[in-house]
Amino acid sequence: MTALLVGILVTIFYQSWPSIHAYGLQFYVGGKWDPVFKEYSALPFIAGTLITTLLSLVMATPIALSLAIFSGFYVKSGFLSSAIRTLVDLLAGIPSVIYGFWGLFVLVPMIRKLELFLGVVPYGVGVFTSSLILAIMIIPYAASIGRDVISMVPNDLKEAGLALGATPFEVVHRVVLPYAKSGLLSGILLSFGRAIGETMAVTMVIGNANFIPKSIFDPANTMSSVIANEFAEATDPLYISNLIHLGLILFVTTTLIGFIGRAIIRRWSIH
Amino acid sequence: MDQLSTRLFKDLAFRIYLVITTMILLVPLGLILYYIVRNGIAVISWDFLTSLPKPPGTSGAGIANAIVGSGLLIGTAALLSIPFGITLGLFLTEFSNSRLASVVRICVEILQGIPSIVIGIMAYLWIVVPMGGFSALSGGIALALMMLPMIIRSTEETLKLIPHSLKEASLGLGVPYYRTMIKIIVPAGFNGILTGILLGVARVAGETAPLLFTAFGNPFMTLNVTQPINSLPLIIYNFATSPYADWQQIAWGASLILILFVLGLSLLTRTLIKR
Amino acid sequence: MNKQILEIDHLTVTIGDDKIIKDISMSFYRKKVTAIMGPSGCGKTTLVRCINRMHELIPNTVVSGSISLYKKNIYEMNPIMVRREIGMVFQRPNPFPTMSIYDNVIAGYILNGIKLKRTEKDQIVESSLHKAGLWNEVKDALHRRGAFLSGGQQQRLCIARALAMKPRVLLLDEPTSALDPKSTAHIEDLISELKETVTIIMVTHNIGQASRVSDFTAFLYLGELIEYGTTEKLFTVPDDKRTEEYLSRKFG
Repeated sequence: MTALLVGILVTIFYQSWPSIHAYGLQFYVGGKWDPVFKEYSALPFIAGTLITTLLSLVMATPIALSLAIFSGFYVKSGFLSSAIRTLVDLLAGIPSVIYGFWGLFVLVPMIRKLELFLGVVPYGVGVFTSSLILAIMIIPYAASIGRDVISMVPNDLKEAGLALGATPFEVVHRVVLPYAKSGLLSGILLSFGRAIGETMAVTMVIGNANFIPKSIFDPANTMSSVIANEFAEATDPLYISNLIHLGLILFVTTTLIGFIGRAIIRRWSIH
Repeated sequence: MDQLSTRLFKDLAFRIYLVITTMILLVPLGLILYYIVRNGIAVISWDFLTSLPKPPGTSGAGIANAIVGSGLLIGTAALLSIPFGITLGLFLTEFSNSRLASVVRICVEILQGIPSIVIGIMAYLWIVVPMGGFSALSGGIALALMMLPMIIRSTEETLKLIPHSLKEASLGLGVPYYRTMIKIIVPAGFNGILTGILLGVARVAGETAPLLFTAFGNPFMTLNVTQPINSLPLIIYNFATSPYADWQQIAWGASLILILFVLGLSLLTRTLIKR
Repeated sequence: MNKQILEIDHLTVTIGDDKIIKDISMSFYRKKVTAIMGPSGCGKTTLVRCINRMHELIPNTVVSGSISLYKKNIYEMNPIMVRREIGMVFQRPNPFPTMSIYDNVIAGYILNGIKLKRTEKDQIVESSLHKAGLWNEVKDALHRRGAFLSGGQQQRLCIARALAMKPRVLLLDEPTSALDPKSTAHIEDLISELKETVTIIMVTHNIGQASRVSDFTAFLYLGELIEYGTTEKLFTVPDDKRTEEYLSRKFG
């Protein structure tokens, strides 16, 4: 197993090397991605990834947090609790490509109407649409981490708060949430890491444009969507190496985020 | 008391807020299922399931090769990941406190977090390039890599719960170690391990990204693992993003089949867990 | 004549299919310490939790009968108001870990959203910590979090927190069972002093503690009130044979 993993690490570094060698740090901050003219830069995709993921987290967090509080504090067991869990599991089980497909045919026309209404170019596809789909996809994951974190808050504290005459809302607000704060924050971090790696749904609705989006209604590309779109047709070895380099960035980022997020939760739950 | 009623009001308002935000989830779920069922049902028929895809404009197209392809890919992945995964799970349970076990656990965590497209790249570099072409085998390997962490995790968790006394009883009767493991311990954890396997299958059945440059897709039916092969997610992706209306129709039908399979599997695992 | 502050009238509590409390009626006297004893499962914790309506947290609980504080039926009041008048200290100390000692003491006010002036807060914190016998040990560390406090000190912090709300009745649910003997003795002394300020109802499985600290004792068995009287009488010449058996089995 270790051999396997080391193998993965070695390969990806090795294959990215030509790209790293050719561009160095410029890859991260330089100009544009235009394979035809042999210009390469990760910047448009780093921007695309960051914007879509952050936007999707902004949309998903309130709902995921509500779900977490609802099923971790108020309704911990019983019929309602399993109904909610089933609902969330169903949502989590839908394959990414189906989210993308549905997004393309149902959500995109709706967004187009919205864009016309707002007087913006009605691409339909773009950063906003993919953030929306990403948000829906990430809610189950975020909510289940949140629910675990909140239900780990000791019952003692909840009782102490209620015995002092507080309403359940006040107990959540003043006791449970402060206690769960770092656990919840790392839940957001872990969801961020998960969302970065999401490929298919995003690829299908982000509009496939290799530029830094100027507004959330512009089409763009994320690191994973550009790989999905261009890898199979890349012929030039440098081109391929650059794409692999993007894969390396994804790998390192998600792994690091995973470590940090899980470490924080582990440290917090021992507390 | 004015203050008390404000506080009670806030409490109630919060509760209502929570209920509403939870219900919001029903909207996308409902919409997705509705559209898939509505559009997919129109296309499904026995012919649909047994014919091959045809050029746009030709009638009588179907997804037979995708169904078979999915089966073959999942089968390959399972064949590769189950023995390896169970063994590793066993190792982690038996040597739980060793240095090596901690290292392996970290590796499993890392593997689980790798984005699926990066796994696809790996399989491409290791298998497709040396083989000189796309193949079901490379796709199966990519999927196996994704199933592995789930199987290892659930095996370890299940086996941890099996009482020591069972192992001791068998060893005490003079049964050799490996026999004890294979014939007694693993079967005792069968339910839990099976759950992990089914969950893994449900997950990879819907995966597209790792197949994009490994299995690649194939308009024809094939059972040859060294050839490129189609699968349900791949055909959905390719046909959905095509400009042809009848291909898009096929994609809806394939989506319905895929969703029924995945959700059905999830429900199955839930009932298994309850046991 | 001792004044009755809290009356329990024909209280029956069923949780699921089990009758935990069977038709109990009793009165508690003002500014006295009443101990509630009995073997495990006799219902003493449930009884006490009914008094501040914390039993409502358990699903499938059905209650009949009434409990009145100064003749007002607490089941007709809002539970929040009940808990302001009837405070509780739990078996395991549970100060809020995210709050400083200072904030822990006035946590009741913070949680209830009651705004106080700084001087008022200081005064409440100081007097509650004095009453709980903790002031001298923490007065220089008021704004630190309480994690460094020992078990006994944490429990006294919880007592201070409950006292800060100026309740009429203080419920103690086996307050020393998680503590070492020295802290236990400390808190027992505290209870004897506290009764000048507040009526105390204490659940305990420690017979010695009941005899040392309480003025009145009630003996519960299988959800029924077997005997209730002054501690002196109960411990020397109990009326009921079961009371005697319980006491002697523990002593002997």
